[in-house]
Amino acid sequence: MAATAPTGTGRSWLRRQGVRENLAGWLFASPWVILFLVFMAGPILAAFALSFTDFGLADLRDPLNTEVVGVDNYTALFSDSEFRRASWNTVVFTVVAVPLVLVLALGLAVLIDRGIKRYKTFFRVGYYLPEVTAIVAIAILWRFMFHPDLGLLNTMLGWVGIDGPNWLGNPSTAMPAVITVAVWRHLGANIVILLAGLQAIDPVMYEAARVDGAGGWQLFRNITLPLVRPTLLFATVITSIGYLQVFEEPFLMTEGGPLNTTQTVAMMVYEQGFAFFNLGYASAIAYLLFLVIAGLATVQFRMLRPET
Amino acid sequence: MMSSSRRLLMLAAVQVLALLLAACGGDSGPTAGGGGDEGEGGGGSGQLTVWAMGAEGENLPTLAEQYEEENGVTIRVVPVPWETAHDKLLTSIAGGETPDISQMGTTWMGEFAETGALAEVPEGIVDQDAFYEGAWSTALFEETAYGVPWYVETRLMYYRTDIAEKAGWDEPPATWEDLQQFAADLKDKGGAKYGINLSPNNWQELMPFVWETGAEVWDGEAFDFTSDGVKEAMDYYDSFFEDGVAAEFVPNFDVTQGFVSGTHPLFFSGPWHVALIEDLGGDDIQGTWDVALMPENENRDSFIGGSDLVVFNDSEQQDAAWDFVAWLADAETQREWYEATGGLPAVKDAWTGGELADDERLALFGEQLEMTRAPPVIPEWEQIAEVINTELEKVTIGNASVDDAAATIQQEAESMVKG
Repeated sequence: MAATAPTGTGRSWLRRQGVRENLAGWLFASPWVILFLVFMAGPILAAFALSFTDFGLADLRDPLNTEVVGVDNYTALFSDSEFRRASWNTVVFTVVAVPLVLVLALGLAVLIDRGIKRYKTFFRVGYYLPEVTAIVAIAILWRFMFHPDLGLLNTMLGWVGIDGPNWLGNPSTAMPAVITVAVWRHLGANIVILLAGLQAIDPVMYEAARVDGAGGWQLFRNITLPLVRPTLLFATVITSIGYLQVFEEPFLMTEGGPLNTTQTVAMMVYEQGFAFFNLGYASAIAYLLFLVIAGLATVQFRMLRPET
Repeated sequence: MMSSSRRLLMLAAVQVLALLLAACGGDSGPTAGGGGDEGEGGGGSGQLTVWAMGAEGENLPTLAEQYEEENGVTIRVVPVPWETAHDKLLTSIAGGETPDISQMGTTWMGEFAETGALAEVPEGIVDQDAFYEGAWSTALFEETAYGVPWYVETRLMYYRTDIAEKAGWDEPPATWEDLQQFAADLKDKGGAKYGINLSPNNWQELMPFVWETGAEVWDGEAFDFTSDGVKEAMDYYDSFFEDGVAAEFVPNFDVTQGFVSGTHPLFFSGPWHVALIEDLGGDDIQGTWDVALMPENENRDSFIGGSDLVVFNDSEQQDAAWDFVAWLADAETQREWYEATGGLPAVKDAWTGGELADDERLALFGEQLEMTRAPPVIPEWEQIAEVINTELEKVTIGNASVDDAAATIQQEAESMVKG
């Protein structure tokens, strides 16, 4: 706006005008800035400070009374067997579920993009539906399906003569069951993201390759995969971040059991912070989780960066 | 041009102002549960804010009408869902916005007393001897009463009489030994799928067995989870799992369905299951089930829970608040309260009249209430309970030894209280 011939003269006026516009810009952005400072940056910094204190129940009425304990919370974490168990579970969950959901999503996205000629919308909506359904409803339904005596799954296994396990009650099947639900639930979002990537690929490339005599697998391997790579990277990072913080599925289906086999780090943060009100300890766990996620995201960006 | 940029600035400024105003406006909204809003003083003419959970929140306003008429006090009942009550109370303490009075789960008493937000029960407000001993002990923190028992619940044995008869039992089992045989017979002779339903990881179900051996886990100063009694109880509890008599563990399982269909003919629970069973089973279930006292070892002690009423230190009308609490703890009010909600009276005299005296099943709850104990009232209890759950699960589902589990509970409990 300043560019449209100012009537005044001199550079100082221009500079003043610039400052003024800058200020206006900030003022316009201020709703977000204020909300961010008060509700995001504030708590994030407060949690960081809290993680070096022993803030607990007794400090509620007088927060300044809390004692600074340095890195005690962090050192205590490493000798906490429940935390070790929860970390291990979270890693297992992520390492299994992320590739699983991405491979399945890519396969289905390719099918929807190129394989299916009709009812595309039907499939797209169908796969996306779990994403928009309330997790509580999903968890309750899956709990019924996994029920050892009355569940759909074991009833169906019974038809072919298999005596199905007690899925959520058995330490060796609980985690696979939770992973299944989490993968199923997040398939839709990944399909939509990957589908967008696939549709951005110029069909001319496929035609040219086909003229050169490339088969279906070669098309996928040499055209689809390289070109969808940036999208795949995005989906990997988003899904990994989400899965490292996995909470709802185990919380609602198994409550972390049996024998802590589905206890996750995010659940521990909740338990310590809001069930026991050990806010210092809970903040330390949350910060450790944050560091791991930030580290992992960096590594993934490095690894899957487009080759140039 | 100059004016247009100025207008821009003005616009932005107005926007910010509007936002700030909106933010401030929220403060005085209905979220403020602060008692004694306009500082009426303790003259008994003000408004008392009471937080009540679940069914209590729904029913208390009707009951309170009587009191309001007699005393000219307005009682404002704020219903709070049980699921969020614990967090909301803690937040209200942190924010200095506590109500005058609140209902409080008995197992939370230690935690909340620790925060220093609860007022001590003044002398002469209520008569301690009028309450069941177990109920009164739930409100004691470091030997000082911080609350008054409101209603109680205790755990009894629920069993299917028809299946028991088929298995050759006309009477419910009265001792630990009998119970083992009883559970095995229900499965083998009675044709039930499982002999007994015990949660593999619930301290509330384990503790009665611990107390029945005569053991206690907390003497007011130190823990004792490694005593012979605790180990005996855990061994006994585990024996049902070892023998394959106990039902398979399903997370979030509601036993009512299994009880009505006959697959789970025996379990331990509180008074709420009476209505659940009758609702689900309808006419078909009538006459096929009953409740019984806990089985005897050294004694027949059961778990006591329920709710207490507390008054907050920040309340400006503590005298008026205690007066209302005392009224709620009066035998006559307690009887009416039972008829409205089914909450069992914590006051012994309330059991001598009306519906309570006539119903045989309820009479049994009354009898069991004479033999109850409460878990330790200490701030760390919820956390220790979680450790008990975890270790118990290692014994019942996993292969951990009782000795190891007991040692771990002892060690963790000690470190929590010291740390």
